[in-house]
Amino acid sequence: MAGSGKSDSARPGIKMSQELVVVAISAVLFVVFSATLNNFLSQGNILAILKNVSILGTLAVGMGFIVVGRGIDLTMVAVMVVGVAFSIWISTWGVDFTLAIIFGAVLVAAIGLFTGIMVAVAEIPPIFATLAIASSVYGSGRIVFASDVLYAPSDIGWLKFVGNGTILGIPMSVIIFAAVAALMGFFLKKTRFGRLVYATGDNPNAARTTGLPTRPIIVTQYVISALIAYTAGIIMLGLVTGIDTRLYNSSLIYDVLLVVVLGGIGLSGGQGGVRNVIVGTILVGILTNGMTILNFSYTSQNLIKSVILLGALAIDAIINPRDEQTSQSGDI
Amino acid sequence: MRLFKNCLFAGLTALTLLGAAQVTGAQETDQVGRSTYLEALKGKKVIFVPISQGMDLNQAWVVVWQRHAARYGFTLEVRDPSGDTNAGIRAMQGAIAEKPDLIIVQNPDVQTYARLLKQAQAAGIKVLQVNMQSATQTDSYVGNDWIEMGRLEMGELAKHCTGPNAVSHKVVWLAGVQTGAANIYMRTGIDEVLKANPELQLVSDQPADYMSEKARQITETVLQQHPDLCGIMGIWDNAEVGAGAAVAAAGKQDQVTIVTNGAGSATGCESIKNGLLDVIFNFNAPIQAEIAAQQISELLQQPDRKAGSEKTIFFGPITRVDKTNATGRNCWKLDELK
Repeated sequence: MAGSGKSDSARPGIKMSQELVVVAISAVLFVVFSATLNNFLSQGNILAILKNVSILGTLAVGMGFIVVGRGIDLTMVAVMVVGVAFSIWISTWGVDFTLAIIFGAVLVAAIGLFTGIMVAVAEIPPIFATLAIASSVYGSGRIVFASDVLYAPSDIGWLKFVGNGTILGIPMSVIIFAAVAALMGFFLKKTRFGRLVYATGDNPNAARTTGLPTRPIIVTQYVISALIAYTAGIIMLGLVTGIDTRLYNSSLIYDVLLVVVLGGIGLSGGQGGVRNVIVGTILVGILTNGMTILNFSYTSQNLIKSVILLGALAIDAIINPRDEQTSQSGDI
Repeated sequence: MRLFKNCLFAGLTALTLLGAAQVTGAQETDQVGRSTYLEALKGKKVIFVPISQGMDLNQAWVVVWQRHAARYGFTLEVRDPSGDTNAGIRAMQGAIAEKPDLIIVQNPDVQTYARLLKQAQAAGIKVLQVNMQSATQTDSYVGNDWIEMGRLEMGELAKHCTGPNAVSHKVVWLAGVQTGAANIYMRTGIDEVLKANPELQLVSDQPADYMSEKARQITETVLQQHPDLCGIMGIWDNAEVGAGAAVAAAGKQDQVTIVTNGAGSATGCESIKNGLLDVIFNFNAPIQAEIAAQQISELLQQPDRKAGSEKTIFFGPITRVDKTNATGRNCWKLDELK
C-alpha cells in the first residue's frame, strides 16, 4: 500500500508501467503469432497455452506472495518434488493414496514452517536460507527415495480428474491455477493479513516498530508458499502420472522468478499482486508456445527468455528506483 | 531305534566325505586360473562417476557390479553428482587424484569430461565408459549402439507413418539433451531413415531434457498444430510418458504411435500396459551391466597393459518391447537383480 502511494507521489503517470509494458509485449506477440502461425488462435491452442503454464503460474503465485513481503523462496521446486514424492513413497507401504497426499501436505507445511522460522526468527537473509534449505530438502529426498522418477498408482480417480478432467471445457489444471490465484488475490487485497504482508514487505523495520507481528506474518507466508508449491506438484502428478525429482536441477525455479519479476512485482517488496503474476505467466506461456511451434532450439529459447528477464529487471530498476528508505531497510 | 541308526549312518557318511575332501586338497578341485583371477581382482579399487544414481539404468548397473565386487574382492565406489555437471567435474577430478585401478564413467555430454578422461588415461588410470560416450575414446565403451537406436525408432515410425493407410506422414523427435552422446548419434540414425523415406515429415525436433512434463507440454503444443500427427519418438521411457499423457488427453491414442527406448525396468512395461507408450526399444540395463562387468574384470586382470593402449567397444542387446511381450525379463525390478 505504501509502495503504490510512494510511486504515485514520486513519478506520477507511470504507475504500473511495467505491467503495461508486459501486457503490450504479450499483445504484440499474440497478434504476430496469430497472424503467422497456423492454429495458434484455435481454442485448443489457447487452452494448451493455459494448461502448459498452470504449474508455472501456480508456483509463481506462491513466489509472488513471498516477494511482496520482501522475501524470496528458492525452496519451492524442491518442496514440490520432494513433498509429492514423499506421498507416493509412503503410499507404496500400503497407506491409502489420498491419506498419503495429506501426510505429504503436513510434511510440506512443516518444511515451510522451518524455512519461515529461519528467515523471520534466525534472521538469515531469505535468499541464503531458502537456497540452503532447498538443497537439504532435495538431498534428504534423494537419500530416502531410490529413484528420481516416482509414479502414482494408476487407479486414483480424483488424480486422473486433475490431469485430464475438464469443467465447461476448461482443463482442471487451469481451474486449479485460477482458483489458487483468485484465493491469493482475495487474501492479499481484501484481508487484514494481506495488507500486513504489504506493510512488512514495504519496510519491515517500520512495520515492526509500529507494532505489527512481522515474524508470525513471515512464517505464515513461507508455510503458504510451501503448500502452494505442493499444489503445483499435485497438478503435475495428475498431468504426467509421475513426479520427476530431477526438476530440482532444472531452471524451473528461475522461470518462476522470471514470471514474478516480469509481471512487475518489485524485488524490493511491498508492491504488485496476483495480477502481475498472471500477466507474467501469460507472456511466458505465449512465448514458449510460439517458440515451440516455430521449433526454436532449446538454447535459443533459454536465451530469449533470459534476455527478457534482464530487460524486465532493467525496467524494474528504472520504474521502481531505490530511494533512501528502501536502500536503508535492505533488499533481498 | 531305526531313526538313531539312520542318523548315525548319515553322520558317518558326511564325516568320511568331509575327510576325503580335505585330503584331496585345494589344488586339485580349484578351477583352472581361478586363484590367479581372484588374486588379480583382490583389493582393486573401481570408482564410478554416473550422471545420476536416481535413474533406473544406473541402479541396475550398480546392483550388478556390487554383486561382482562382493564376490571377487574388488571395491566399487559410486560418486554420484546427482545430475549436476559441475559436481560431476569435481567428482572426476577427485577420482583421478585418488589413482584408482579403474574409473567407470557415464558422460553427461560428449565434451564435459573429454579433457579429464585424457588426463586420467595419461595418469595411467584405465577408463570404462558406459552408455554415454565422450568425445575422448578410452580403454572401453559398453552401452548402446545409439545410431542403430535412432534407426530402429524412426524405422518403427516409418512402418506406421508411410504407405496408403497412414493417418499422415508427420512425426516428432522428442530429443533429450542436445549435446548428449545418445542425442547426437541417434540423430544420425534418424536422418538415415528420413533420407530413405522422403515422405516422412519431421514436424518438430525439440529437446524435452529427459523431463516428462516438458515432453507433455511440447506434445500438447505440437498436437494443436498437427492434429493429424502420426508418430512420436523419444529417448527415455520415463520422459515419454509425458508425451503419452498429452496424446491420451487429446484422445488420440489410436492415431499416434509413441516409440522410445529404455532400460527395461518394470515401470516402462507399466506405461505400455497403461497405453501411454506403444513401443520401447529395451536396452536391458542388467545385461549391459554384465557386459560391463566382464570389461571390469578384463581391465583389472591386465594391470601391466598401458591405459588407453587398446580401445574396445561392446554394444549391448536391444529388444523391441510392445504390448505382446511386456512381461518377464523384459520388465525387471531392482529387487530381483540383487
